[in-house]
Amino acid sequence: MTAKRILMGNEAIAFGAMKAGLQVASGYPGTPSTEVMETIASHASKYGIYAEWATNEKVALETAVGAAYSGANTLVTMKQVGLNVASDPLMSLSYIGVKGSLVILVSDDPGPHSSQTEQDTRAFGHFSNIPVLDPSTPQEAYDMAKLAFKLSHEMEIPVILRTTTRVSHGCADVVTEDIEQAGRDIEGYVKEPRWTIFPKLTAQRHPWLEDLQIRISDRFSDLFSENTFNSISKGNSKIGIASSGVSSLYTNEATNKQSGTFSHFKLATVHPFPEKAALEFLNDITDLIVIEELDPYLEEQFLQLIGRYHLDVNVYGKKNGHFPVSGEYDVDVVIEGVNSSLQAMNAEIPLLTHSTPVVARENIPALPVRPPTFCAGCMHRTVFYAFKKAAAKLKKENGKGTVFSGDIGCYTLGNAQPLNMVDTCLCMGAGISMAAGLSHTQQYQDGNYAKQVAFIGDSTFFHSGIAAMISAVYNNADITLAVLDNRTTAMTGHQPHPGIGLTAMGNPTKAIDIAEVLRSCGVDLVETIEADDLGECIETAKMAIEYEGPSAVVFKGKCVGITKATGQYVIDEEKCTGCNFCVSQLGCPAIFSMSSGVPQIQDNCTGCSLCAQVCPSDAITLREVLQ
Amino acid sequence: MKFDILIAGVGGQGVVLASRLLATAAIDAGYHVATAETIGMAQREGSVTSHVRIGDEVCGSLIPAGNADLIIGLEPAEAARNIHFLKKDGSIVVNEHAVIPSASANNAEYIPEQVIEFLKKNCQETINVDFTQLAKEAGTYRAANVAMLAAAAGADLLPFNPDELWSVLEKMVPEKYRELNRKAFDMSLEKVACIKDPEQQEQVQVMDI
Repeated sequence: MTAKRILMGNEAIAFGAMKAGLQVASGYPGTPSTEVMETIASHASKYGIYAEWATNEKVALETAVGAAYSGANTLVTMKQVGLNVASDPLMSLSYIGVKGSLVILVSDDPGPHSSQTEQDTRAFGHFSNIPVLDPSTPQEAYDMAKLAFKLSHEMEIPVILRTTTRVSHGCADVVTEDIEQAGRDIEGYVKEPRWTIFPKLTAQRHPWLEDLQIRISDRFSDLFSENTFNSISKGNSKIGIASSGVSSLYTNEATNKQSGTFSHFKLATVHPFPEKAALEFLNDITDLIVIEELDPYLEEQFLQLIGRYHLDVNVYGKKNGHFPVSGEYDVDVVIEGVNSSLQAMNAEIPLLTHSTPVVARENIPALPVRPPTFCAGCMHRTVFYAFKKAAAKLKKENGKGTVFSGDIGCYTLGNAQPLNMVDTCLCMGAGISMAAGLSHTQQYQDGNYAKQVAFIGDSTFFHSGIAAMISAVYNNADITLAVLDNRTTAMTGHQPHPGIGLTAMGNPTKAIDIAEVLRSCGVDLVETIEADDLGECIETAKMAIEYEGPSAVVFKGKCVGITKATGQYVIDEEKCTGCNFCVSQLGCPAIFSMSSGVPQIQDNCTGCSLCAQVCPSDAITLREVLQ
Repeated sequence: MKFDILIAGVGGQGVVLASRLLATAAIDAGYHVATAETIGMAQREGSVTSHVRIGDEVCGSLIPAGNADLIIGLEPAEAARNIHFLKKDGSIVVNEHAVIPSASANNAEYIPEQVIEFLKKNCQETINVDFTQLAKEAGTYRAANVAMLAAAAGADLLPFNPDELWSVLEKMVPEKYRELNRKAFDMSLEKVACIKDPEQQEQVQVMDI
């Protein structure tokens, strides 16, 4: 039985995987990949699947590998940056291969909307010799999830299912099939030398891996006649367009008024590049326009092929400046790029046209900007403000400055004005290691430069903070760690982590105490306090910074995204002196001030009381207690 | 058939939920649908948009500039920020209730009335109501998004009618909030009917007295 329903691309992937017989799934949350595991976890018991959030992507991949070596159908989920963390096992795994099946879901983020990089996972497939599938719609994501499991099983190699934001986080009507209870029968782990990587084994397996690339490339060429992911449509000119992923849809829409003009090579099985099918396509073409987000992956593949076979085909893409090399594409970007290409080839074809808006973007009058910032009532604001105050006091007392190293999560937004409390931010866990590195510089050792403070969230602490802290302690780094423990993985949508005491499937489990971990890492001063009393937070922060040697404070609070407001504050117009302290110091989105009159507090106030605590005139009071 | 809707607002206003409701209603009405939503970092009090594309063809989820049939602006400045998506004879449903950014962003003074005037000047079919106030009267300001969808359906600006929209809401809104949302929905329909037919508005005013 099939059913049509609205699914987010990530949900569609989860259903495709479950339909394909998924048995074990592991992942680490990361936008835009998170909902794949969330969907699986919520259906896992029903279909006899095991699903978990791992502490990081490397652990997630290795967990799935173990299960796959036993013959299970397995899935790992992560975002593109997470694949960097998992790259160590990945590079070795491609040599060894798998039994059962192993699909690696990696979501790329052109734009980028919520990532540190715009990296292209197709390039990672190329680097690691692992096949990459690149769906363009939620329906293709569903269908290709099934294909990925099938290919992985047949070829005994992991397969990367790569999506981009618009596929992962777009919703569409998707036709899905009934899912049977996954078979629990697996062969089980069988001892064989092939599962232990060793130089001799690597040498033996490398030719197999290279040969496999050719076999899969041929298989992908065959897929042009077998299904709709890969397709070739013929146009009435000698101009061809090649595209993959969601760019294929933008291409269709951009060219739909002249759809008969261009031949279109739409590719979803992007790596290994299906050379045979591409060669056939190039037969009737004199000019090729390549339309793809992120890296010029397809463009390079075509250029190689054209060079190797001495074909007389001109290629227009990123490399000769017709398309942007960064940022997200859309229909308008594609129209610009195609027109630029058409002009360069002096084609006697009318240029593509944009729709005319009622107001052009450049004619919109100035509007208030809304940089992302901490939610109203977020505990992080209190902690950052406390450290700001503590650092100012210390500066006054002994002249020493403070450097604040941030990390990846909601609290990266500590960089926003007016807090301005993130001096460094690189990748997950790096705040601690960078603070340690900064502390070992000569300037610092002379004792007159700055104290080092690192901020990290609870989930990130487990992800990659622990090893960094151990290294810092072992190497005598004089740093202070502030753990912002809001009892959830907030930025990606509130997933549980080892500090919570709940698994991805909702079962109770042992909660790991962050303060205890820090003590056993060798941190001598470890304090745990609630992050609601600003004065206490300032005192504790100051004490921790002043402590000689590694120190840590675990600030406990609750994410306002998953808790109810406790009340709303209001500003007493009589008492308010108009100092604007509440606005200028905190940057709380619930408080605003007009040029005249007293500041006002909006509906989104959650009653955290921070503004009342900083108000020098006691003009801010609790208005009502919400039911 | 092709119908493109852009929903704009501020993180936390329920933009994503509004787009899911529209997308589900579109499927129930037998159309293909594709949405693009803002999830993650930008949601933290930042500007958010959802694109909802309803129609026969499968196409990309991002609406090209000048293509939207309807903009639903949960906040005046956010509607204006996205007006370049609106096509020549498109419509706007906009919430008069402004969400004013914290002054720390160094913004010049934001005067929502001027923004509404700008919208009305550029789009004849602009429906502007303080939907937040209306939702508050129904029970919670959070239902403003539902009230705005009801207004769009009530004003015949969607490819499905208010009943079809409500049947989706009934399925998707948790039971404990259902009555409240129904109230906001109905109050909004009534309000829009008044705007469309000023005579009825006068009658209501008379009744109010």
